[in-house]
Amino acid sequence: MTHRHRTDGPRSDPAAATGPSYAHREPVDFAVVGAGAAGGVMARELARAGFSVVVLEQGPHLREADFKHDELAVLQLAALTNDHRTQPNTFRTADSEQATVKPAVMYGRAVGGGSVHFTANYWRFHEIDFIERSRIGGIEGAEFADWPITYAELEPYYTKVEWEIGVSGLAGASPFDPPRSRPYPLPPLPIKPSGVLTERAARKLGWHAFPAPMAILSQPYRGRAACIQCGFCERFGCEVRAKSSTLASMIPEAEATGRCEIRPMSYVRKIELDRRGRAIGVKYFDARKREVFQRAKAVVVCANGAETPRLLLLSRSNAFPDGLANSSGMVGRHLMHNGYALAGGLFEHEINGYRGMVVTRVIHDTYELDPKLGFVGGGGFDFRWDMGLIGFALNGLPPDAPTWGPEYKRMLREYFNRTVYVLAHCTQLPVASNTITLDPVVKDAWGLPAIRYTFSEHPNDRAFYNWMGQRALDLVNAAGATRGWLYPVQRYYPEVHLLGTCRMGNDPATSVVDKYHRAHDVPNLFLVDGSSFVTSGRGQPTMTIQALAFRAAEHAARMARSGELTRRG
Amino acid sequence: MPHGPLSRRYFLGAMATGVAAVWWTGAARVRAGVAARPIADGAAPAGALGPAELRDVDAIAALVLPTDDTPGAREAHVVDFIDRGLATFAADQRAAFQSGLADLAARAAARHPGAARFAELPPDEQVAVLRALESEQSEFFEMARAATLAGMFANPEYGGNAGKLGWKLLGFEDRFGWAPPFGYYDRDPSASD
Repeated sequence: MTHRHRTDGPRSDPAAATGPSYAHREPVDFAVVGAGAAGGVMARELARAGFSVVVLEQGPHLREADFKHDELAVLQLAALTNDHRTQPNTFRTADSEQATVKPAVMYGRAVGGGSVHFTANYWRFHEIDFIERSRIGGIEGAEFADWPITYAELEPYYTKVEWEIGVSGLAGASPFDPPRSRPYPLPPLPIKPSGVLTERAARKLGWHAFPAPMAILSQPYRGRAACIQCGFCERFGCEVRAKSSTLASMIPEAEATGRCEIRPMSYVRKIELDRRGRAIGVKYFDARKREVFQRAKAVVVCANGAETPRLLLLSRSNAFPDGLANSSGMVGRHLMHNGYALAGGLFEHEINGYRGMVVTRVIHDTYELDPKLGFVGGGGFDFRWDMGLIGFALNGLPPDAPTWGPEYKRMLREYFNRTVYVLAHCTQLPVASNTITLDPVVKDAWGLPAIRYTFSEHPNDRAFYNWMGQRALDLVNAAGATRGWLYPVQRYYPEVHLLGTCRMGNDPATSVVDKYHRAHDVPNLFLVDGSSFVTSGRGQPTMTIQALAFRAAEHAARMARSGELTRRG
Repeated sequence: MPHGPLSRRYFLGAMATGVAAVWWTGAARVRAGVAARPIADGAAPAGALGPAELRDVDAIAALVLPTDDTPGAREAHVVDFIDRGLATFAADQRAAFQSGLADLAARAAARHPGAARFAELPPDEQVAVLRALESEQSEFFEMARAATLAGMFANPEYGGNAGKLGWKLLGFEDRFGWAPPFGYYDRDPSASD
């Protein structure tokens, strides 16, 4: 492999590539599309395994110095996420409707992806999440299926995530935790008032609160600083590298191999195949919207559960008229998120939720529920404060509060430091008609067809979320709130957990990738992100996305070494 | 979870209720190639609105967050934030905002002969007009309310939240670094109740 090392350009230019400068015309071993939670892991693991890697990230390569406590910039001006002004999507609830422009999906658009701005809740999936279909049976109107892998197969990779990126928590603290081979590398972060209230409420209800597993460092770890409790986790980048984003953890280690080139502002629009149906590289727009073709011996797509199926659909060809790797017709189908229910409570004394991290205690007593309740599903709860200041003023008061005027202003003052929210994180069933497709009319600023988002909740799920909402209110009251309230269950857009659209399975007729994330149809194409999920899990999918990525990288490296990627699978 | 529903409700609650969608995301009028442009350091950009429009915006903001025993939108210079915002990062929403102000002027004239603008109405009639807009689920009302709240609580460098008055109003301390105890309930976490 010939390449030259860059010496030009300031290191902190968010549009500048870093690492070796690979030639476009010579194939690198792996082209990785997307530098997020999964892409960062794939890049680091493949580069460490000795392969040449080019990572193409559509967003900028920001650094810690770029992260500000600026609510307007990160949220309203989409500083860290996809910008619907240049990347619109359309929305509808059924195929029979005309889709209209409305922000429906949100994802991290920067090196590090969503892990830059996530809240960092790191729940493992439990055994049940992989085998719920056979445990419970089929559900009419849902394509409920088991995963082709089990918790036991994934356990070593969950442990790897915890130790490689840095996760704080307390092993054995939850009676519902699945078996683990190693404790957490770091103790839990300090408890906040909202955590104390979680414990109080759990005791009253006979439930169990345990220290939240968080991808945030409670102590210095591998050259990174511990959390300073600035309170700006969710939606913001961490300026001290205490949040274990791939930007802080995996990407620098990928760069340190000298074999991984990170190219930000590189927007991939097509995966190219040769006549034998093997991927030969990717076409992308660079920062100046010039088209570049990067050759690669294998392609790994880690673009998230909305952009990954979109890229496959954009990559249709004579050999794949319905979209690349889509002989099953399953690309873009079974779109899932997580469901939510939300309650709020006003307390007598200061909670000061804005100080420090979002969540410190979690309750998993509802992880598995008795189907006799009349629905299928499971989930967990946390007490939190993640509103932001503008956000609190817009939406933080109880639903019956005035929205402007003297009483509104008085309530803002009364509630700000004394309110906590209880959020239920829930499963969502896979439904084949919930899809990511290409919009036939609307285009993005690069002239590519926009994402068309089609989604309707399965009736089971709404019944389940309503039940969880009542339990959230129970928790608020059990915690001793002077006033509790419940928000009506609704879907919150844009959605951030983008799952299920290239599902994993053993049968090429009903799934897109195999149990190693390799496309059934293309032997040297891997899809590694939330799109592989067969079921939604109970919430907090990033931990599982990364465990899957560590596992996928191991197998991709094995196949590349054995020559398997150049043969027909 | 990258974004709790709480934070998502923030600019999207919007989608169900109309809150802020237009002002914030510009989603209603997608124009390819329009990128967000923050205000340049130190530069005081020319405003987007004329004097009569500014008086109306100031009046609306002062109704949303009135001045009483504590400072309100007026003291926090919310009108400057909105004027600047419509000239810079929210320039693509300027026309919609101005059209809303024009509609407001027409409502004022219809309601009160001799009043050419909203700001010229007596205070109780201003309240009545705003209530009517809210009950109609007017997009402009949601936009103006959201813009007022952003002007009150966003970082001061955007032109509002003067003297950090908005933060002081809430009791938000911009220390950006905390240690236990964070509040009352964690002073003695082992206490059973």
